[in-house]
Amino acid sequence: MLKKTYDWIDERLNITPIWRDFADHDVPAHVNPANKMSAFVYCFGGLTFLIIVTQILSGMFLAMYYVPDIVNAYRSVQYITDEVLLGNIVRGMHFWGASLVIIMMFLHMLRVFFTGAYKAPRELNWVVGVLIFFVVMGFGFTGYLLPWDQKAYWATAVGAQIAETVPVLGPYIKTLLVGGDILGALTLTRFFAIHVFFLPAALLGLLGLHFIMIRKQGIAGPL
Amino acid sequence: MGQDFYRDRIPGTPRFREKDKKKPIGSEPFWPNFLLKEWIVGALFLVAFTIWIIFNPVHLSDVADPNPSGYIPMPDWYFLFLYQLLKYFPGKMVWMGTVVIPGIAVTLLILAPWLDNSKARHPFKRPVATTSMILTLLLMIWMTYEADVQHEEALAHLPKQVDKSAMPTDTALVDEADPGAKIYSASCAGCHGADLKGSVGPFLLGIGNKHDAAKLEEVITKGFPPNMPAGGGLTKPEDIKAVAEWLGKQKQQ
Repeated sequence: MLKKTYDWIDERLNITPIWRDFADHDVPAHVNPANKMSAFVYCFGGLTFLIIVTQILSGMFLAMYYVPDIVNAYRSVQYITDEVLLGNIVRGMHFWGASLVIIMMFLHMLRVFFTGAYKAPRELNWVVGVLIFFVVMGFGFTGYLLPWDQKAYWATAVGAQIAETVPVLGPYIKTLLVGGDILGALTLTRFFAIHVFFLPAALLGLLGLHFIMIRKQGIAGPL
Repeated sequence: MGQDFYRDRIPGTPRFREKDKKKPIGSEPFWPNFLLKEWIVGALFLVAFTIWIIFNPVHLSDVADPNPSGYIPMPDWYFLFLYQLLKYFPGKMVWMGTVVIPGIAVTLLILAPWLDNSKARHPFKRPVATTSMILTLLLMIWMTYEADVQHEEALAHLPKQVDKSAMPTDTALVDEADPGAKIYSASCAGCHGADLKGSVGPFLLGIGNKHDAAKLEEVITKGFPPNMPAGGGLTKPEDIKAVAEWLGKQKQQ
């Protein structure tokens, strides 16, 4: 039955080559820790992706309970932590995962840098990687405000003040971030929208490019 | 690299793959061999991560209060080096820390493949790239550490949060016409509250239950440096005595 369904789809769309290319490509010896333990440095990229997946999943579940308005945001986070079944685990996963993504991504970037893997012909993939880094920093900055506690509020207030000091454009950047004159209801909905719609869209697009490029070009050879 | 450096067959490679002599030794197909191992590593990693989460619950601080307060803001740890950078460019020069230096760093990072464009890939054969990255890293680590130290220092200088859990429920002041009450409202109410309920300083309701006037006079004269100066801002000993006598009468329960 399953086989028949697959054949039916494959006849029409010819999907076999797509996943065959992905499944059958050879993983070279020098990146495989099963060969040589020191190759573990090549795992950081994959681990970054794994944590990004856990971030997306835990974020989706948090969004079921979280309410992005200034009256209820704090209470909804409290509710998630104290009342929801395993809520503290899911929130903990999202909270600690945020730091872990940064750490893993940074280690991945250092590995690529120190092994010179960004050299021709892989320059474009490096640029996309740096853009992913900034998107992830954006996730950190916007996500920090969402619990609407003192820590979140004042860190964002300082962030907005810092943005304001940029010559010429500063006040506009601040308005764009804060959504008005004061950091309040509009800021929270804005940060929420950026955190759950704008940035994920950007991240998934960039990750797609990152993976397509690495599949096309292959991993850089041994040093 | 000598190919005999690797084992002939690596764990997890099926026998039928071995006759494929065209493939370089040690390489293995992504599916299922490599992915299986990745899966195992990923699973172990997630178990460790979950254990960490269970033993390190996340706490909320108090609900956001937009009124300017004594709260010392602190960004998340991975922004600390940027935050610290701003401190080196105070006042009008701050744009150096917000735009110029991060801008240069970001540009260098994005353009790295074109700046470091030799064929060599080994880090020791690219001394400029390697050295500058290591120096940048050390600088970032040091600035993060410094930001943390300075934040801890700032916290230590913050007046302690006043604990009001033990405050008497009876809040009626005793003998408001007392001369000591007038001196109190002029010099002490700023920190301890006009109604003795405390604000920056601790509440003083029911203080007469704990100390008598003589003891209070002694305490006020000494003060609690650095939060409360000696004499509590009062210079004349007779003022201190008057306030102490009035406070000694406050026996609210």
